[in-house]
Amino acid sequence: MAAPASYKDRNFLAVIGDEDTVTGLLLAGIGHVTTGASATRNFFIVDPKTEIEKIEKSFDDLTTRKDIGILLINQHVAEKIRYKIDMYTAAFPAVLEIPSKDHPYDPEKDSVLKRVRKLFGE
Amino acid sequence: MSGTANREAVFPTRQSLGLMKAKLKGAETGHSLLKRKSEALTKRFREITRRIDEAKRKMGRVMQIAAFSLAEVTYATGGQIGYQVQESVRAARFRVRSRQENVSGVQLPAFESYITEENNDFGLTGLGRGGQQVQKCRDVYGKAVETLVELASLQTAFVILDEVIKIVNRRVNAIEHVIIPRTENTIKYINSELDELDREEFYRLKKVKNNKKKALDEAEAEMKARQALEGDKMMLSGKGGDEPSDLLAGEDEKDVIF
Amino acid sequence: MEGLFFNVHSGYVEGIVRGYRNSLLTSSNYSNLTQCETLDDLKLQLTPSYGEQLANVASPFTTSTIASKATDKLVQDFRYLRAQATGALAKFMDFLTYSYMIDNVALLITGTLHERDTKDLLERCHPLGVFEGLPALCVASNIEELYSIVLVETPLAPFFKNNLRSADLDELNIEIVRNTLYKSYLEAFHDFCTTDPTLKGTPTAELMSEILGFEADRRAINITLNSFGTDLSKADRKRLYPEIGKLHPEGSLMLSRADDPEAVRLAVEIVGEYRSFFDQSGLGQGPGSALGGTQKSLEDIFYQKEMELAKDTFTHHFTFAVVYAWLKLQEQEIRNITWIAECIAQNQKDRIGNYISVF
Repeated sequence: MAAPASYKDRNFLAVIGDEDTVTGLLLAGIGHVTTGASATRNFFIVDPKTEIEKIEKSFDDLTTRKDIGILLINQHVAEKIRYKIDMYTAAFPAVLEIPSKDHPYDPEKDSVLKRVRKLFGE
Repeated sequence: MSGTANREAVFPTRQSLGLMKAKLKGAETGHSLLKRKSEALTKRFREITRRIDEAKRKMGRVMQIAAFSLAEVTYATGGQIGYQVQESVRAARFRVRSRQENVSGVQLPAFESYITEENNDFGLTGLGRGGQQVQKCRDVYGKAVETLVELASLQTAFVILDEVIKIVNRRVNAIEHVIIPRTENTIKYINSELDELDREEFYRLKKVKNNKKKALDEAEAEMKARQALEGDKMMLSGKGGDEPSDLLAGEDEKDVIF
Repeated sequence: MEGLFFNVHSGYVEGIVRGYRNSLLTSSNYSNLTQCETLDDLKLQLTPSYGEQLANVASPFTTSTIASKATDKLVQDFRYLRAQATGALAKFMDFLTYSYMIDNVALLITGTLHERDTKDLLERCHPLGVFEGLPALCVASNIEELYSIVLVETPLAPFFKNNLRSADLDELNIEIVRNTLYKSYLEAFHDFCTTDPTLKGTPTAELMSEILGFEADRRAINITLNSFGTDLSKADRKRLYPEIGKLHPEGSLMLSRADDPEAVRLAVEIVGEYRSFFDQSGLGQGPGSALGGTQKSLEDIFYQKEMELAKDTFTHHFTFAVVYAWLKLQEQEIRNITWIAECIAQNQKDRIGNYISVF
C-alpha cells in the first residue's frame, strides 16, 4: 500500500490518446504545461504513425511522475502497449482506459476488468 | 515425523507449555479477527468491482457524448482546433485532490475533482466563430472527466483493496494452516515429553523402591540370620521379646522411604 | 455594360464554377446520406461527387479521412480555377486564399514560438492557404525575426504592418492576433472589391459588399458573445470589429459596450434581419434559454444565412462573387458530410439532420 504522503500532492491528470480525445480533455482543463529547462507536458498525442517506443516512453514518464494522480489512456493506444499495462499494478497513478471517438469501449480488453474477472474465476 | 519437523524449538517444560497455550489462544483470536476483516474487505471489494463495471459502461456513454460535442465544435469552427488547444495550454484548471476513506483499517484514497477558477486558457478559442460550441464542449468534457475521476477512485480503491485482501488472506491462511497446527504440535510435543518424563520418573522410583526393597530384604535376611544366631544364643539363654523391635524397625524404614 | 467584356477574360471560369455548383449535393442527396448505416454506405453514396478521391481509400474508413478527401477535391477544383484566372479575377481569388493563410500563419506562429516540429506544422496547414514563403516562417528563432519574415515573405504583410507590432506576437493571445488579421483582411477585401477600377460599380462590388459586410457583422457579434467571461477588455474587443457591414458604426459601438447577450441583442436590433436571428436562437432573452435543446444555435443560423447569400449570388451574372459563393458552398458541403459521417460513426442519429442544405 502506498504511503499516505505519496498521494497528497498528486494533483493532476494526464492523458495519452488520439488528437480528438486529447483536445477534448484539454478543453476540460486538465492540461498542465511547465516551462523552463525541464519543460513537461502532461499529455501525449498518438497518431497512427507514432512509434510504439514513444508511447512506451511517455507511459513510463507519466507513470513515474509524482504529481499525477490519474493517467487516462485511450483503449486502442493501450492495446499497443498492453503488456506494459497488464504489468502495471501500482495504485498511483491510477491508469484508466477510456474509449476514443473511433474506437468504442470494449470491456473485454480492459486490464483492470480482466483482473476483476480473474478474481471471480470467470 | 511431522511432529518433530513442524514444531517450535522449545524445551519441553511446564513453563513453555503455558507459553504455547497462550500463543495458541492468541492465534485463534487473531485468526477470527483477520477472517472478519477479510470478509469485510471482500464485501467492499465486491461492491467496488460491481461499481467499476457499471462506471466503465457509463464512461463509454459519457465519452461518446463528449466526443460528439467535439464533432459539433469541428462543425461549427469549420476546422481543427486541436493544435491550437494543445499550444495554448498553460496550467491545469481541472485538478484532483485525494482524500482518504477508512475501510476496516485500510486507507482507501478517493479522488475528488476541483476546478481552479483563476486560469482560463481557452476562453478565446473560437473567438471568431464556434466559440459557443467550444464552451459547450468544455462543459461536456468537464463532466466527462468528472466521471473519469470517479472511476479512477474506484479503480485505485480496487487495486489497493486487492493488494490488502491478498495480504490479509495470506495472513489468515498462515495462521490457520501454519501457526495454529505448529503451536498445537508443539503443545502435543511438550505434553508427550512431559508424560515421558513422568513415566521415567515413575520407573526410576520403582527401581529405587526395588533397590530399597532388596536392601531391606538383605538386611532382613541378615537380621534373621543374626536372630537365628542370637536365637541360638537365646535358646541357650532363653527367648526374649526381640520380635516387636524388629517389626518397629521395618515400619520405620518404610516410613522413611515413602 | 460590364457584361459586354466580362466573358472575354472570365467567362470560362464562371462557366466552370457554375458547373461545380451544379454538382453540389442537393437536399435529396443529403437525405440519402442520412439514411446510411455505416461509413461504407456513405462512401457509396458519395461516389458520384467524390468517387475519384474516395476510390483508393483503404479501410478502416474514418470521418477525418472523408473530410480530408473532400477537402482535397475542393483544393483541386480551386487550383484549377486559379490557374485559369487572369487580371482582377486572379487577384480576387488570391484574396480568397488569404483567409486560409491567416489561419496557417497563426498556426505557424504558435508552433514556432513553442518550437514544435516544422514538418508536423506544415502538414496541418490548410492547403488553400499554402504559399511559397510559408515554410520560411519556421526557421525563425525569435519573435523579431519571425515578424520580419512574415512581413517579407507572406502576402499578409499589409495586414500585419498596420495592426501588429513584433512584440504583439508574443504578448497577445494568438486568437487576438488571428482576429486582428482577419478584420484587416475583411476590410482590405471589401476595399478591393469596391474600389478596384475593374470592379468598381460592377455586380461583383455590390454582391461582395453585402457578403463581406455580413461576414464582418457575424464576426463582430460572435466575438462579442464569445468574449463574455474572458479577460478580453472592451477596448481590445472594439479593435477586432471590422469597420464594414451593416452594424458599423453605431451597432459596433453598442456592441463594444455590451456586457451580456441581452445588450448584444439590443445592439443588433437596428438591423431587422439580425434581430430575427436572435429571436430564432432564443439568445439574450434571459438565462437558460440560450443554446437549449434542439433549437438552432445562433452560429447555425448565421451559417444558414451565409449559404442563402451564396445561393442568391448564383442568380447574378458576370460577377466574380460566384467563385466566392461556390467556395463557401463547397466548404459547407464538406462540413455537412463530415457532420453526417460523424453522426453515423458515433451512432447519434437523432442529430443527423443538423446539416445546412440550400439546394
